Amino acid sequence: MRLALSLSLLLALSMAGTVTTSAQEKLSAIQILERMDTKINGNEDQDMDVTLTVIDTDGSEKSYDFNIKQKGNDKRLIRFNSGELKNMSILTMNQDQVYIYLPGYKKVRRVASHNMSQSFVGSDFTNADMATASFLEVYDPVLEKEDEAFWYLRLTPKPGKDTGYASLLTKVGKKDFLQWQSDFFDEKGTHVKRFAASQPKLFPGTTAEWHSHIELSDPRTGHKTTMKVNALKLNQGLKKSMFTTRYLQWAK
Amino acid sequence: MRSFATALLVAFLFTSPARGQSLADMIDFSGYIESDTRMILDNYRGLNPGGFGDLELNRNEVNLRLGINPNDQVRAVVDTRLRYFGFSQAEQLPDLIERAKVDPYSIYLDEAYFAARGVIFSNLDLRIGRLIQNWGAVDQFNPTDNLNSRDLSDPLDFTKKVPNQMVEMSLYPAEWIDLTVVWVPVFKPAQLPPSANLAFAVEYDQAGCFKKAPIPPLSRPQMAELVDYFGSLDPCSMHFIDPQVRVLDPGRNIADSQAAAKAKLYLGPLDITLSYYYGRFGFPAAYTAVAYATPRMDEPGAQDIEYIAEVTYPRMQVAGLDFTYSADWLFGMGFMGEIAVIFPEQVDFGLRAFRGKALEIDMAHTNIPSDPFVKGTFGMDYSLPFGLYLNVMYVHGFFDEFNDMYGLHDYLVAATEFKFFDDELAFRLAGVWDITQRETGTFTPTVTWVIVPSVEIQATGIYFIGDVDPPETDGFSTYDQKWRFGQKAAGRNVASLRGRITW
Repeated sequence: MRLALSLSLLLALSMAGTVTTSAQEKLSAIQILERMDTKINGNEDQDMDVTLTVIDTDGSEKSYDFNIKQKGNDKRLIRFNSGELKNMSILTMNQDQVYIYLPGYKKVRRVASHNMSQSFVGSDFTNADMATASFLEVYDPVLEKEDEAFWYLRLTPKPGKDTGYASLLTKVGKKDFLQWQSDFFDEKGTHVKRFAASQPKLFPGTTAEWHSHIELSDPRTGHKTTMKVNALKLNQGLKKSMFTTRYLQWAK
Repeated sequence: MRSFATALLVAFLFTSPARGQSLADMIDFSGYIESDTRMILDNYRGLNPGGFGDLELNRNEVNLRLGINPNDQVRAVVDTRLRYFGFSQAEQLPDLIERAKVDPYSIYLDEAYFAARGVIFSNLDLRIGRLIQNWGAVDQFNPTDNLNSRDLSDPLDFTKKVPNQMVEMSLYPAEWIDLTVVWVPVFKPAQLPPSANLAFAVEYDQAGCFKKAPIPPLSRPQMAELVDYFGSLDPCSMHFIDPQVRVLDPGRNIADSQAAAKAKLYLGPLDITLSYYYGRFGFPAAYTAVAYATPRMDEPGAQDIEYIAEVTYPRMQVAGLDFTYSADWLFGMGFMGEIAVIFPEQVDFGLRAFRGKALEIDMAHTNIPSDPFVKGTFGMDYSLPFGLYLNVMYVHGFFDEFNDMYGLHDYLVAATEFKFFDDELAFRLAGVWDITQRETGTFTPTVTWVIVPSVEIQATGIYFIGDVDPPETDGFSTYDQKWRFGQKAAGRNVASLRGRITW
């Protein structure tokens, strides 16, 4: 059930200052999605501190702080810095190889793929969302409409890809090739989830603004989860060895 | 510990903080405070009848874990617990002036080690100090995991280990293989649960007459002879002095140390580990028992019986293999397995009984044969979309079984967890069923409520299924007939209320 909205969407970043593509450029739906993928995963590496807040329908909230390190578009390391899960780490070596370090047991354990469909600490994100995902690998895009500022792509899962959704309507910025909003629909056509990115911010050491706020909500219930990017570093030269079980053992 | 402290000092003196690294980057600090109160829920599993409603535990614990990273090649970790037991141990008036008696506590050093990465070769890591190793792929029942003995001081948390000083060297020659070698200079045995004493307890009836003694690991004909002998004695004439069970020191020679090696292979959806261990089994095996009967001067016909037993830790070699496999073609189910071929040292059990100076009983039987035997665990886990998690395992040989006269049993271990309200409430049911004996098992329900992140309350407990007395054939029981979980040595039925804050 990979939403493919993925945490990479945190990095669906409005690099407004560097945009060179003109709105007039005629691109196919695949090219648009390809450019969006490149924008999301185009950095050598990323290192960010995030606060995730789960907001229940009654307005009650709970928050967790964690750090995310990413290299390329397939390796990711998440380490919890607060809450009852503090020091738990999740290593994604690729979509099919995920390991978790459980501090209570002092053990590194491989996570089978069934676990990827589970909620990430009770939020609207799934574990699969927290792993890296390429839209183009998972979805076939069709350009449904466009206006001056955005393309609206209808994404349907490729044959054999079980995303848990029948389709997505994704709003891609014409100036920045970023995913500004995605609406998720089930088999019955019911609108079941919305992703929205906002609050562009220039983080120290970066050359362009990045969205610092992501909201994922369930329009049926009002349940939502926000992610706030507190700190962001790009292209720090994170070593590949950091994304191995060796590092999980080391940092425990 | 002096060598560890020296290593730590050297690490700090000769490694400079990485450029731009702040103190906050160098230090990570975490821990928890936990309070645990337990109530006994049975009247029949203690040494004497009664006890329902008594508090079994009233424990408070503070955990502090400090990690120090002067640079990205060096790391030191200290993980310690301060545990207050919550029951006064004062028995005499002078005890009341001692704080340690009035409010007893223990300090645990769970880990204290120094690690260096990329030493000599860039792909070589070293860890030296007090460590806990967790080998194996399956959950909790790992026959290939033998470097640290179990800490069963808390029957509700049998995953804990007794830490030990060791040297670990890990080599990472390629992405698809890790190699690890560990040397543990001195063997440390498992810490047994408080109920373990009951395995060697002598029981009396309400009239104070001898009722039951520990069943020794002897053959059925030998047991029949023993029962005949004791049957000829007046049970009300036997006054057992508190039995002594002596633990044979495994020794501190280099040959008594432990060593292990493993190679972990990453083969796409399959991870496989091959391992080897040389050392000792962490649980004690019955070795000798001697009873001395001495006529009582003050009570004609009666006799004092001194009962002294010895337990030992048999040497063993273990060749192991474990795997985890994620079956994408089968709903993404996870499969895991672990198999260990154990080559044990033979242990012969001897029993003698003296009346005065006369040797009246002299029996011996092989308790643990030297034949290799197999222990294994195979399991699967699966998560359903609505928050239900299921884990089922088949276990051949419980973690304290060693192919002695008790044998190796087969078990079904199952756990299911259901999370509600954004994971704030979790309901978990876990159980172990002895397939071999069929009428014994454990049942553990747990409700966990995360009140706010970092703060959780947990209500849990354990219930033992099975008769406390083993079945009798021809009027007596043998060693292998003891109910796995029914016997009193397994522990009391308890309910626990815990609170924990994590930082």
